[in-house]
Amino acid sequence: MKRGKFIRLTTGMAVAAPLLHACGEPKRGTAVPGRIVGSSAAAGHLLRDHTFNPPATFEAKEVVIIGAGVSGLSAARHLVQRGVKDIIVLDLEEQPGGNAASGGNAFSKYPWGAHYVPVPNNNLTEYLSFLEEARVITGYDQAGLPVYDEFYVCHDPEERLYINGHWQEGLVPNFGLNAAELAEFKQFFVLIDHFKKLKGSDGLDAFSIPVDTSSRDESLRALDRVTMKGWMDSQQLTSEYIRWYVDYCTRDDFGTPYDMVSAWAGIHYFASRKGKGANAAHNDVLTWEQGNGFLIEALRKNLGGKIVTGALATSVKGSGDSVRISYLDVASRRLQGLEARHCIVAVPQFVAARLLGDTERKNAVTDHFHYVPWMVANLTVRDLHERGGQPASWDNVIYGSASLGYVDATHQQLQQRKDRRNLTYYLPLTHTSPEAARKEAYGTEHAFWAEKVLSDLQRVHPDIREQTDRIDIMLWGHAMVQPRPGMVHGEARKSLSESIGGTIHFAHTDLAGVSIFEEGFYQGLKAARKILQQT
Amino acid sequence: MRNTAGRNSAQWVLLVAVFIIATCGLIYELVAGTLASYLLGDSVTQFSIIIGVYLFSMGIGSYLSRFFNDHLLEWFIRIELLVGLVGGFSAILLFLVFPLAFSFQPVLYALVGVTGILVGIEIPLLLRILKDKVEFAELVSRVFTYDYIGALLASLIFPLIFVPYLGLIRTSLFFGLLNVGVGLYLCRYFAGEVRGVTAIRFGGILILIAEVAAFIFSEQIMSFSETLAYNDHVVYSTSTPYQRIVITKNKHDLRLYLNNNLQFSSADEYRYHEALVHPAMTAAAEPRHVLILGGGDGLAAREILKYKSVRNIQLVDLDPGMTKLFTGQDILAEINRHSLKDPRVTVTNADAFIWLKENKKQFDCVIIDFPDPSGFSVGKLYTTAFYRLLKTAMTPQAVAVVQSTSPYVAPKSFWCVNETLKASGFQTIPYHNYVPSFGEWGYVMALQSGAYQLPDTFAIEKKYISQAVMEQMLQFPNDMLAHEPLEVNKLNNQALVNYFEKEWSKFLDQ
Repeated sequence: MKRGKFIRLTTGMAVAAPLLHACGEPKRGTAVPGRIVGSSAAAGHLLRDHTFNPPATFEAKEVVIIGAGVSGLSAARHLVQRGVKDIIVLDLEEQPGGNAASGGNAFSKYPWGAHYVPVPNNNLTEYLSFLEEARVITGYDQAGLPVYDEFYVCHDPEERLYINGHWQEGLVPNFGLNAAELAEFKQFFVLIDHFKKLKGSDGLDAFSIPVDTSSRDESLRALDRVTMKGWMDSQQLTSEYIRWYVDYCTRDDFGTPYDMVSAWAGIHYFASRKGKGANAAHNDVLTWEQGNGFLIEALRKNLGGKIVTGALATSVKGSGDSVRISYLDVASRRLQGLEARHCIVAVPQFVAARLLGDTERKNAVTDHFHYVPWMVANLTVRDLHERGGQPASWDNVIYGSASLGYVDATHQQLQQRKDRRNLTYYLPLTHTSPEAARKEAYGTEHAFWAEKVLSDLQRVHPDIREQTDRIDIMLWGHAMVQPRPGMVHGEARKSLSESIGGTIHFAHTDLAGVSIFEEGFYQGLKAARKILQQT
Repeated sequence: MRNTAGRNSAQWVLLVAVFIIATCGLIYELVAGTLASYLLGDSVTQFSIIIGVYLFSMGIGSYLSRFFNDHLLEWFIRIELLVGLVGGFSAILLFLVFPLAFSFQPVLYALVGVTGILVGIEIPLLLRILKDKVEFAELVSRVFTYDYIGALLASLIFPLIFVPYLGLIRTSLFFGLLNVGVGLYLCRYFAGEVRGVTAIRFGGILILIAEVAAFIFSEQIMSFSETLAYNDHVVYSTSTPYQRIVITKNKHDLRLYLNNNLQFSSADEYRYHEALVHPAMTAAAEPRHVLILGGGDGLAAREILKYKSVRNIQLVDLDPGMTKLFTGQDILAEINRHSLKDPRVTVTNADAFIWLKENKKQFDCVIIDFPDPSGFSVGKLYTTAFYRLLKTAMTPQAVAVVQSTSPYVAPKSFWCVNETLKASGFQTIPYHNYVPSFGEWGYVMALQSGAYQLPDTFAIEKKYISQAVMEQMLQFPNDMLAHEPLEVNKLNNQALVNYFEKEWSKFLDQ
């Protein structure tokens, strides 16, 4: 034992050396290699800088879907399953997936955007059956609860938070908090629990998924008129820690700080998750190396040949009982035409309005829809020095950081030894207005972002600079819509959701107001059902 | 004689020497205190005693200085060199002596005492050397000022710079070199005034060379002291990408350590391996295809090869370093009776979880001999997810057995493995035995179906197991039970790692 203690102590001293070093001069001239990936903006410029001949012919299709994100693919999947097979899905990017895009290297796949889904609510029958199809659910137990594949339920240790010089378990701050601060969290979760069970005067769950199945009780809608901060003030939830925690959560899910996000949306984040599995609880999450890229693969499983990538839609025009769609084939630089019975516009509304060439729509979007830019980085790292407390986990968050911390893409790997790990680092650019942040982001080079990531992580991994092989960066100009007050229960989202002429339909999470996988899935499903009703 | 200017600079040289002596002296004291705290624990006591002994020894030194009457400068330089020698090598000496536990404290205090005495002699000597050259009040003021500044410097640079960057062995050597360097410089500076300067210089250079050499080879010295700590002679040690393998030998036994954890002692490993292998092999009835997961030492394979029914053994061990060692090294291969070279044995170096996930074969008996679940990585190999995969690798009548840590030290961990196997669809037979070098050790047999029947006989060559012994192994006294409902170990809760960590750290803290 003496020996063991001694070895621990000397190890402690050995690690003190790089620690001291980290306090000194930052190292110069040791740029970590990598690049900014994803260049769909370039294709956009192509359209701006060139004029193209209009398409000579319009190929006939039953259904054209614009956008191969979760909504578009969900719609396509549902249509194909119901026998509507003459469909085509257009996407600008080289890889379908939208916000659930993913990448990979020799060590693992990794997400470029959404990286997990919570255990689903049990009333979402269609979603559950999709997960069964994707073999995420392996069956149901005697009580009728879904059994989740153990390899996909997030492994332990799941989450840790670096706070007061220590990695604590879980993301709800507790390390170094005094009794009053802890009591506020208790009070907060009592309130959340109340909202979880609450039903409105119309008998519907106060907070439900999809958001449109939630109660429309006026007393609850009132929450959509104040910010989360305003609501917290009214509940006297004022300590620095609880404010940070709630702000972290709303930035994480909505890319919106708590003083800008609608209280309804903020509470929805906490109170709408009620799922239960045979081997998973509502606070468990399902995750994969490539994040939700896994679910994208499952969505598109039977869509072989129906997805056209590198296709930039340029216009959507309805005429009578058909729709004409033009798109730029980026590779050949030629405009192509399609004529369809139905078109599902599964892209964000600012793009949809442009495609339709509808000024009124454009104005409505500009007034009510705000899209936040994000930066996502993937780092390939060797063994990192660790501060004390809980060991490296799936989700690793730094208290007080502008970032949301990082997720270890190799966490679900089973092997004993990992030569490298891929860490996915998330930074919603909420420090200034979305427009300014977007402009700033596109004007900035790889080295700037790499330095931003490294200097943040250096606090918890002093040797991160030496131990990082590569950093790739993805900039999402319009990552997600912000559920500011009035978004969810306002009129804009409703009127923009309505189909045009019975032939043009809309499906996107921005029409739900919150950007979560289930909303995308049901947006697609709803649009597909509208078409099926007519055929 | 030198002129006044020369005399003045001579005075400064000597004062700088005081400064360095004071710094070095305190550093040696701190090295001794730190080492004693590390090795013996209870830092308050260690530091108190060492500071006391050191200051008291300086007092003795000051007293002894009166017996030096002639050639004060020569003595001053000699003592300087001696301090460099004793202090410089003090950390190495203490590290080497520590494993011989009975003699550590006397050596520690003797070293601190000698250093204290030598430093204690020096200051009065210096005062006397300089007394004719400087006015008394000024002399005392200067000497002690430098003395105490040196002490402050030492106490700052020791924890902030030297220990983190150089470690203890190199720190003490570094200051030893500094002392010797000062001695040699003084020799040169006062060459005219010092008699027998060549001899002193020669001695100084010898010490200098020895310390430089020790400084360069401090890593090797450290690892040599490690070999002493195992109480035995280290016959082999290597670091693979997966673990540190150390093999020690004394006249009684040979031991294998992985990451400082004892894996087996050749004196009693038969107790462990017979208990691990034979109950499952006998229960499996005429097993032909056997799988070993872990067990790169080939000892489980040795036991399995005793069965005539066995056609082939698939051994899957993560570390090629291990299996190569136990295939090729004669002393080790003698212990496993060259089992890994047997044509019936196929050795695959792979991660067990990944291998099992890709495996399509089925086996009649599976022996699982993984390291204890001491971390989240290895903890995965004890989960329902792993055991469900295991099930797919077993024939309908197959039996598996899992080494399951000590039910005496870690009853919750042991019974958690049992619960996890049950939750994965196995019928389980937990049992345990006594292995002197391990203590009480536990195993869980996992049956696909059917009731377990105690075998009439274990019809193989054995030293330990029998029907009567087996019957005994199935009995668990009260102090090896969990006494509370236990969680099942899953990938998403890693319950076992938590049990294990709590139970073993409690045991080791006793």
